[in-house]
Formats: sequence, C-alpha cells, structure tokens
Amino acid sequence: MSAFDGVKAAALLFVAAIVQVSILTQVHVLGGGPDLLLVTLVAVALLRGSVFGAAGGFFGGILVDVATLGQLGLTALVLTVAGYWIGRYGETTGRERAHAPFLSVAVVTVLYGFGLLLVHFVLGERAPAGPLVRGLGPAMLLNLLLAAPVYGLARRLLRPVDRGDFATEVQLLG
Amino acid sequence: MAPPNRSARVEVLGSSVQRSRSNAYPSRSRSALVRRLVLAVLVLGALALLTVSFRSPTAGALHDVQGAASSALRPFQIAADRVARPFRDAYRWFDGLTKAKSQNAVLRDELRTARAQALAYRAAAVKAQNLERLLNYEQGATYPNGFRAVNTAVISFPSGPFTKQIAIAAGANKGIKLNTPVVTGDGLIGRVTNVFSKTAVVSLLTDPDSYVAARDLKTGVRGVIRHGQGNTLILDQVPKQATVKKGDRLVTDGTRDARYPDLYPYGIPIGTVSSVGIQDTASYLQVQVASFADLGSLDSVAALVKTKGS
Repeated sequence: MSAFDGVKAAALLFVAAIVQVSILTQVHVLGGGPDLLLVTLVAVALLRGSVFGAAGGFFGGILVDVATLGQLGLTALVLTVAGYWIGRYGETTGRERAHAPFLSVAVVTVLYGFGLLLVHFVLGERAPAGPLVRGLGPAMLLNLLLAAPVYGLARRLLRPVDRGDFATEVQLLG
Repeated sequence: MAPPNRSARVEVLGSSVQRSRSNAYPSRSRSALVRRLVLAVLVLGALALLTVSFRSPTAGALHDVQGAASSALRPFQIAADRVARPFRDAYRWFDGLTKAKSQNAVLRDELRTARAQALAYRAAAVKAQNLERLLNYEQGATYPNGFRAVNTAVISFPSGPFTKQIAIAAGANKGIKLNTPVVTGDGLIGRVTNVFSKTAVVSLLTDPDSYVAARDLKTGVRGVIRHGQGNTLILDQVPKQATVKKGDRLVTDGTRDARYPDLYPYGIPIGTVSSVGIQDTASYLQVQVASFADLGSLDSVAALVKTKGS
C-alpha cells in the first residue's frame, strides 16, 4: 500500500461524493435511493483495509456535509465507523471471498441508515424511522446493483495487495 | 530427559534456555494500535466538528469555512449536473409524454375555469385598489409587491430521509437573509435557514420545523401548514366548526399583528386542500394539503428579497 494508493482512493471517493450529491440524491425508486459513495467506500475498504476505510469514510462524509451545507461531521462520523468496520471485515473473514462486496453493501446499507437515525436522534432532531424503513429495501437493491461495477472499477484502480500487509489480530500458533 | 512425574510442558517451561526478550509492541500489535488510534482520532475529529457545527449552525469560523469549501466544490457539482442533464431531460421527456394525454384534458378544464375566474378577479382587483386609495388603507407586505426575486439554481438536494433541505447558489452576496421566503413559479417551497456568502440553505415546507400561517382563499379560514406523515403537508389548527372543502386554495396569511410580524408576506400560493376529515377524538379538522410546487424535483427557485421601503 503506497501513498499513490491513497491519492487514487481519494480521487475515487471524491468523484463518488460529487456524483452522489449532484445527481443520485434526485433518484428515488419506491422511497429509496442509491448511495454511490457508500458503495465506493465499501470497495475501497475491502481492498485496502480498515485504516483506508476509516480515513476514506471521514473524507467522503466531510465532502457530503460540505456540499449539502448540512451538519458538518454528521455523515463523516457514520461513514468513518462504517469504513472501519468494512475494512476489518475485509482484513479478516471477508478476504478473497466473492460475496464479500455484496454482503458488505447489503449490511452496511442497513447499518448506515440506522446509524444516521441514531445520530439525528442523539442530536434531538426529528428523525422518523418510518421513511427509512420503507426505503431500506429499494435502497439496498439499488446499492447491490451498483456494487459489482463499482467494486470492479475500484479493483482495477487499487490492485489487491499482499494480505500480509493487512493487520490482523488473529495469530496462529504452532 | 524429563522425570516421569513431570509433564513435557512443565519441563519446557522450567528449562534454563535463554529466550530472546519479546518486544513490548510486536509488529502486529503495533499495527492494531495504529489502526485503533486512527479510528479514535477520526471519530473524535468528526465529533468535534459536529459539536461546533451544532452549537453555532449559522455563524462562526467553521460556518465560514464550510461556505467557502462549498463554493469550491460547486464547479464540480455543476460539471456533474451538466453531464447528467441530457439523461434527466430524456427521462422527463418520456415521462411527460406518457402522462401528456390525461393531463391535457385536465388542464383544458382548469384553463376554462381559470379564464372565467381571471375576468372576475381583474374587475374585483381594480375595485379593491380604488377603495384602498380612497380609504388610505395601510397594510403589510403583500406578495409579490415589495419583493425582488433572486432567481437561482438548486445545487444540492436532500441527502437522506431525514433531510428536508436544499442548497441554492445565491447567498448573502445577493441580499438573501435568514428567513427569506423561497418560491417557484408554482408556489411557496420554504424559507432560508442558513446563509453563506455565495450559497444558502432552504428548509422545505416538509421540514419538521417548518410552520406557515395559511388562509383558505375561498372561506377565509386560517390555519398552520406543517409537515404530516411522510412527505405530506397538513393544514393544522383548523377548528371543527370551520368550513374547508376539497379543492380550496391556500395562500400564506401574512402578518396579522404588527407586534409579531410573519416570516411570509400575504398571498404566496401554497397548495390545494386534497382531503378533509373529522375525528371525534381530535381537536381540529384533519386537512391534507397538496403543494402547488413539486418539492421533490426542484431545479431552480426564487428567493423573495424585500426591496427598500417595503
């Protein structure tokens, strides 16, 4: 993993964030919408691990918060945790598994939605769970449709590294 | 060789062979430490930003930095929008084509009714103006008199199910202030709730914190427009004995007491009554409202800036 990888990952996340806030926020299918930034973050974190995942989540979240003039740090907080978690999954059990991107996207779509709900709730803002729950199914489906092409593109840009580079806490004895 | 009463494990542990001293932070533990440290720093950074942003949402250094950064991102957003526009236009063209026939019949009926109403209203308006002049009648701001429209593009849209705000490409540099009403050609969409130098945030009518004093044009009944279930609007606080019917048009009520000036001038179209219900247990009528403006697809809007002297 090199600094150039960081630049490539940042460029990928930047484009994803801009496309998300400028175009995809207007796409609604049955109450749900796709989240290109989240899917791209999943791809980057799976390919480059938890540190890249967390840093990428923070960077992408700040971009969204700035571009939408929203509460600064809100999306960044949830995406940082999401990126870290996906990265850890990629470093440990998710390694080399074909279903890992799809499983990660499906699970993270749900967790990200409820994470945002939780933060809004903690901030004392009105955040009804109804629209979120109704839109989760379509959002997950749309994100899964994006998962294969986005992961493929990310894999071309960020070639899989030697797994020995990944930090794991699983130490084999004997 | 180990004595028969000692296990091999105890023998090995008890041996006097000198082992190399283990590092306090072996490489894997160290990378785990770094990883957790990075996560902690980023989470704390996000929490710090969130705290500062939450405590002073409309002013301060961070607010200014966010405004400047948003302006820096705008060219990229415009470029992405330009790339997507042909596809969006094509979709809308086909979508409009499929609905055109049924809409055409409805619009012809509405046009016939509106023509008849316009004639009657024109005569009434001339008469009202004459009477106002004769009586030296004083009144507050009335839409659209006394306002200058700042026409601007929408640069970002609600980013999730909990956000009912849009960002527009005009800010303090165009005279926009906090609580400036924002409309489209169809009617009211909301008000400005955060102003930056070149951009501003508009909270839509569906925002949970949005309340607009409204009046039924036909019956004069007053109420408050606020968000309902999902993305709907309701006319709240209408007494049960009041008369409100489906199809009635609602406009902003404006200032009724000079001590408590309203944020919106009188007469901005809001929407039509889509249904009226009465429940025994409820204190007020249940009035559902269909907004004139399509709050889900806003490309450009107009902020109503007060002109001098109004």
